[in-house]
Amino acid sequence: MPELIAPIAGNVWKVLVAVGDKVELDDELVILEALKMETPIYCDDAGTVTEIKVKEGDAVNEEDVLIVID
Amino acid sequence: MSRKQTPLRPYFEKMAEIGKELREGEVRRSQANVELVREQEEIIAKEILRVKNAGIPAEKIHQRGGMTIHDRLEYLVDAGTWSPLHSLYNPNDNVEGCTGVVNGIGKIEGKWAVIIGFDNKVMAGAWIAGQAENILMVTDMAKRLNVPLVWLTNCSGVKLMEQETVYAGRRSSGAPFYRHADLNHLGIPILNGIYGTNPAGGGYQGISPTILLAHDDANIAVGGAGIVGGMNPKGYIDEEAAQALIEGTKNFKGKAPGRVETHFDQTAYFREAHDTEQGVLDGIKDYMRMMPAYDPIMFRVSEPAEPRLAVEDLNLLLPANQKRPYDAIQILARLTDNSEFMEYRPEYGREVFAGIAKIDGFPVAFIGNQQGVFPGYPDYANGEYPGVGGKHYREGLIKQGEFVTLCGRDNLPIIWLQDTTGIDVGDLAEEAELLALGQSLVYSIEQTELSMMCVVLRKGTAAAHYIMCGPQANNNNAFTLGTPLTEINVMHGETAAAASYARRLVKESDAGNDLAPTLEKMNQMIQDYKDKSQPAYCAKSGFVDEIVSLTDLRKYIQAFTGANYQNPRSITPVHQMLLPRIIKG
Repeated sequence: MPELIAPIAGNVWKVLVAVGDKVELDDELVILEALKMETPIYCDDAGTVTEIKVKEGDAVNEEDVLIVID
Repeated sequence: MSRKQTPLRPYFEKMAEIGKELREGEVRRSQANVELVREQEEIIAKEILRVKNAGIPAEKIHQRGGMTIHDRLEYLVDAGTWSPLHSLYNPNDNVEGCTGVVNGIGKIEGKWAVIIGFDNKVMAGAWIAGQAENILMVTDMAKRLNVPLVWLTNCSGVKLMEQETVYAGRRSSGAPFYRHADLNHLGIPILNGIYGTNPAGGGYQGISPTILLAHDDANIAVGGAGIVGGMNPKGYIDEEAAQALIEGTKNFKGKAPGRVETHFDQTAYFREAHDTEQGVLDGIKDYMRMMPAYDPIMFRVSEPAEPRLAVEDLNLLLPANQKRPYDAIQILARLTDNSEFMEYRPEYGREVFAGIAKIDGFPVAFIGNQQGVFPGYPDYANGEYPGVGGKHYREGLIKQGEFVTLCGRDNLPIIWLQDTTGIDVGDLAEEAELLALGQSLVYSIEQTELSMMCVVLRKGTAAAHYIMCGPQANNNNAFTLGTPLTEINVMHGETAAAASYARRLVKESDAGNDLAPTLEKMNQMIQDYKDKSQPAYCAKSGFVDEIVSLTDLRKYIQAFTGANYQNPRSITPVHQMLLPRIIKG
């Protein structure tokens, strides 16, 4: 099951999808905020969002799982 | 059998391909970005149209049988080569909405020239505030690129109601006459097509270039005929003096001095006199054919080629959201011939890229900021914080200084692609010598004799805007471009507001006072920073020489490169270049 991973530590600024949403390759799913920058997290495969492991405002570490897609 | 080839073929014919095609999803999700870029482009286009329509309507000039400056440029400049500069420059907020001159770089009869003319719709080409500075920027560019300067003079002299804004001072409207002398001294010819009445300042504008070609109705003179009354002994104008002026003006029958009858027939200052406006321009074209210019084959290292990847992608790739990172190499891949690049020390100083590319087959150096996050970098931070794209650290500064020095040795013109938030700060950064390394880069640039061009892709901030050959590099920077996403300021408005008001907030808070008035001031300051960092403001104030759409960037880069290689003052034989060998190892 593909998982979207946080490439850097930061705060979850926006979650742009909900469980059950169909997503396409390169869709923007989450935006992290760190070091005064927005880091968008893109979908690397098409599928359906089955689990969202974070909510807006959460602090995440590098390599934390953010979203699971089936 | 004869055989021919370009020099150092194994290095230059085929360099590493960079960049990649955009996927459908990347294009889809970037459509909003395209709209934001277009919004800014529309603001700039509207401003440019306003400036173009400044002064009396073009139809009025046409009804008199004349040509506007824009008509003259269209007739004179080779189709598709005109690259305007300083279109919105108006630092003193003149009521005219411009500085009364139109200028840029373009080809005439296949040769690059810096071209400038008075806008004859605006007070008949009067000297107005900011104009001298505009002209000095243009003469500096001709000097830097070592290409002819072409003038279309049509200058009525000082706008007398505002003489204090133009007449006196070190960089006033008299300074261009010295610049013309300087260019002549350096062997850079100035061709001058002269139209209309050019008294006093206009006269010197007429006489100071190298070759003078006049329209039959033109004149140049030390002073005009229009001054019918001298100094009034009373020191003011009363009814009696006014009547004398009225009579004197009514009865004045004199012609303007310095006409073609004088300066063609008598003094022979004018090489040519033409009965049509086009004739003058044809004369300039004739002289441009006589100008020295190498055949491009002399310096080309390969056949010219368009980028392999679409230039239009730039509107998708460069985020309008200044907080968003992007792949700077994807931008570069839309600017260089065949989307190729020979990168210098890619693993060292990762926050910047540097290397050699080809533009129209000419070798050119590029330096720019990478974006994104670099965990584990810089070394001197010992993991306390990661490196961030757009900032400069020790290795990147050393790499840029080295690369610039080698470019100087190899005579490679440099194009800087700035998108910088500054140089790293703090005790660790000071111990890592960033202050000295920043100035060391300035020194490296100044030590070269190279022409450089700067593009502020998005952010030009703090000292980093200076050290990456910003317009402050007066001796090297030929011109600086902004884009529809450019934002230039010493720091972000929020940072500035925090720096300015943090102590007051503490004081008010400790005293139990309402914070609202301070917050209002802070937010006003943030808005003010935003308003005064926008592309149109940057162009109006002269922070950049022009705001150019992203898809037009390559055209300006081609103009810069072509002009640079037209008549270089110094040559490095390509087969003796060092940088390609250093890169290869």
